[in-house]
Amino acid sequence: MWYDAPGNNTDVVIGTKVVITRNIKGFPFVTKMTDSDKENVLGMVRQAGSQIGLDFVRTDELDDVARADIFNKGLVATSVVNGEDKYGILISKKEGVGVIVNSIDHISIVSLVPGDDVLLAYKRAEELAVHFEKNMDIAFSDKYGFLSPRISTVGTGVRVSVCVAIPGIEKTTGALPILTKRIEKYDWAMNAIANVDGSMRETSHYTINSVTTLGITEQELIDGANRLVADIIKLERSCRKNICAKKKVIVEDQFYRAYATLKYLRRADFSDAMTMIAWLRLGQDYIKHDDIDITWEKINKLTNMVRKNYDDYSRDRKVINNRPTQRAELIRSIMKGDIA
Amino acid sequence: MRCQRCGGLITNSFTRINGTLLCENCARELKVDDMFKRQATFFEQAFPMLGELTNGIMGTPSDLDFGNSKIKCPRCGTSLRELDSKGMLGCIECYNTYNETILKNILKKQGSSDYIGRKPGEIANIEVSEIPEEASPAPSVKVEVTPVNDSKPESNSSISVLDKIKDADWSTIPDNEIEAGMKAAAQAEDYQLAAKLRDELKSRKEGN
Repeated sequence: MWYDAPGNNTDVVIGTKVVITRNIKGFPFVTKMTDSDKENVLGMVRQAGSQIGLDFVRTDELDDVARADIFNKGLVATSVVNGEDKYGILISKKEGVGVIVNSIDHISIVSLVPGDDVLLAYKRAEELAVHFEKNMDIAFSDKYGFLSPRISTVGTGVRVSVCVAIPGIEKTTGALPILTKRIEKYDWAMNAIANVDGSMRETSHYTINSVTTLGITEQELIDGANRLVADIIKLERSCRKNICAKKKVIVEDQFYRAYATLKYLRRADFSDAMTMIAWLRLGQDYIKHDDIDITWEKINKLTNMVRKNYDDYSRDRKVINNRPTQRAELIRSIMKGDIA
Repeated sequence: MRCQRCGGLITNSFTRINGTLLCENCARELKVDDMFKRQATFFEQAFPMLGELTNGIMGTPSDLDFGNSKIKCPRCGTSLRELDSKGMLGCIECYNTYNETILKNILKKQGSSDYIGRKPGEIANIEVSEIPEEASPAPSVKVEVTPVNDSKPESNSSISVLDKIKDADWSTIPDNEIEAGMKAAAQAEDYQLAAKLRDELKSRKEGN
């Protein structure tokens, strides 16, 4: 999986995602496409992708195991992987890189890297974007840039999204407004990660998303992203240090409680599990804990495997009802080190 | 951050509805800012209701509001109304047909309409620049830690509340626990128990 590779600053930044969207000239946008248009686009993108060794799958031909496998790679949303429409997915040999065909835009290139590395994620996505631009007739105007059905992505078509865990900032009075102001200053947006049932609940995990695609160059976007992420990391670390020094006993207590609960629990709700993982993050570097076996690799593995799991969105009622027990099993085996 | 309705910078507070970000003013105009705190006056409530009533009887509001609704994109047939409601264009030709509207919306959403990115097929020449040290100062803020699981044992809380309620004599249980039990029962899909608890709560409130 993409998150198995080592990443920068994974104590705060879980992963960086870059999406580049492109549309093909000569076809209407996806909402106005006929079935034969969709087939043609699938065929064209598939052919262009095969030249650089991308594997092609159609979502309407996938079985449940394959759907789960593709969803857990983190490239696509459930609406695509479970959708009955004529979506296609091109998967690269590089972990975390793929292309979604016919979902809002004709071509959506997704690139995921663990930790904080906006440039690498961008470069991987750009490589594919340039290939499609050279080999296909891509809709482009000098005035608006790359055209898209959504006014919010017309222009560069590049969006950066960074997933961060910020329990320190969240638990420090007055730090969250400092962060939101900084994000506003960069014209970015911040969202709490959604609970599996779609509700938003504070779990200390957020995604920070770029908004602007016009009036900005790729260089400026990436520079802005790097600066913003560096600010967040710095703020979060200083908050963690501060809390662990001033409220040592409380953090120690919560840290050990979270560790013990995660190691032995038998049922785990999504948001409870994420909250406990956030406590581990908070104390890991600043609480002395030689007597227990917990590493950043384990914490990151827990975060990623709990955060995106196809079973949470299964269409099978039995699987959904059984989720808390299954999730607990998964968490226990990661804590034991069975899943390395 | 910008409001996705009026395009203004969001400075104070914002509301998110179905993923749409609204500034305080727009949220207030749409009456979604804080429905529970709002004390709706009789007039505020009465007129929208009357409006809905007449619309219900006389059909949808007249097309007069959408003077341009008959304009359609010659290639894909997307109307201005569709563009306004869904915010999605149908084809490349729409950019010519609705140039003005699109430009206005782009300015609202992005604050600029000039494309200065790379040309198709070119590689963006990106240099990694050093991040200046000034960045964010360490915050001098008050530390406030909220223990999560002092009072309730994490995910088992709903089960323990349910067990307690199932076995107990309800007259001995306070209102807030009955309410918690009702929610837990609904979550555990024990709707019969949830309904009974709801009736119990209702009768208590009426009794008072």
